[in-house]
Amino acid sequence: MKLTSESKILLAIVGITILIIGLAAIVMTKPAPTLTKSDLVTPTAYTRGNKDAKTYLVEFSDFQCPACLATKPTVDDIIKTNQDKLLFVYRNFPLDQHPFSHQAAKAAEAAGKQGKYWEMYDLLFANQDKFSDALFPQLAERLGLDKTKFISDMNDPAINNKILDDIAAGTRSGVDATPTFFLNGKKLDISSFDDLKTAVTQAINQ
Amino acid sequence: MKSSDQITILNRVIFVLSLAGILMASYVLQGWVRHSSILCLTGGGCTLVQKSHYSYPFGVPVPAVGLIGYTILAVLSFLRTTSTNKNLLKGILGMALFGVCFVSWFTYTELFLIKGVCMWCAISAVNMFVIFILAVTSIRSQRMSK
Repeated sequence: MKLTSESKILLAIVGITILIIGLAAIVMTKPAPTLTKSDLVTPTAYTRGNKDAKTYLVEFSDFQCPACLATKPTVDDIIKTNQDKLLFVYRNFPLDQHPFSHQAAKAAEAAGKQGKYWEMYDLLFANQDKFSDALFPQLAERLGLDKTKFISDMNDPAINNKILDDIAAGTRSGVDATPTFFLNGKKLDISSFDDLKTAVTQAINQ
Repeated sequence: MKSSDQITILNRVIFVLSLAGILMASYVLQGWVRHSSILCLTGGGCTLVQKSHYSYPFGVPVPAVGLIGYTILAVLSFLRTTSTNKNLLKGILGMALFGVCFVSWFTYTELFLIKGVCMWCAISAVNMFVIFILAVTSIRSQRMSK
C-alpha cells in the first residue's frame, strides 16, 4: 500500500487526535475527592431511616428525571428494609434541561415546611409526567397543606438558596448526572438497581 | 473548486467525522462495560438508555455497533487515499446507509420505548446522517467528474 500525501494528512489527524485525548486524559484524571459526612449530610437536608446509623446513603436527584423515577422503587425498598440500620438523605440536583425540576424541588421543600416533605416527594414522582405550574398547588391541596403558606414558601428565597446550595454541593462532590448516590461518602458507580441494593447491604454488614 | 479537490475534502471530512464517531462510541462503551458514569447533559437519559434491554440488540451493546460501523467508515475513507477503487466509496455509502437506518431505529426506540434520550446517541445519530449526506454528495461529484 502506497501512502499518498492525503494519506499522510489523515494519519496526522489521527496522531493529533490521540495526542489531544492522551493529554486530556492526564489532565482530567484526578483522584475522587474524599467526602466527609458533614459534606453530604447537612443539618437541613431531609432524611429517612435512623439518624444515628453508621451507614448513610445520599442521593442527588431531580424530581423530573426519568432515571430517578425508575430508581425510586429500589430506593424505597432499601429504606424500608433497612429502617434501623441506614440513614437516607435526599439532596436536590434539578437539571437545567428539565423545565419544572427546580419548581418541583421548591414544592417538596415548601411541603417540608409543613411537615409533609416525604409525602410530597412520593406525589411528585408519581406525577412526574404531569408537571406544570398549576400542578404543584394542587398536590399541596391533595396533601391537606395550607395552600397560601405553601405558595408563599415556594417563593421564599431561603428555599431557593437551599436548593442552590444542594446543587453547589453536588457539583463540588462530582455529581454530573442524576441520580447519583454516595454511600458512606463514596460515590457509587452502579449499573443496575441490584448493584445499589448489594452495595448498601454490604456497607451495613461491614 | 475542482471536482477532484471536492471529493478529496469530502473524504477527509468523512474520515474526521468517523474518527469522532469512534471516540464517542468508545467513550460510551467503556462507561457501559466498566459500569462507570459518563458525562451526560440530558439528565438521567444516558443511564436510562444504558439500563434498558432495548440498548442491547441481540446482546450487543449499541455503542459497540457504533464503534464497528465508524471504524469501517474510517478504514474505508483512509483506503480511498491510497486507491482509486470506486467500490470503496460505494462501501462507505452502504455502511452510512446502514448507520442511518440503525440510528433512526435507535432514536425511535429511545423516544418511544425507553422514553429517555442519551446525548451521545443523539450526537452520533446526527453525525451518521452527515456522513451519509457527504457520501451521497461524493458519489454525485464522482459521477460529474467522469
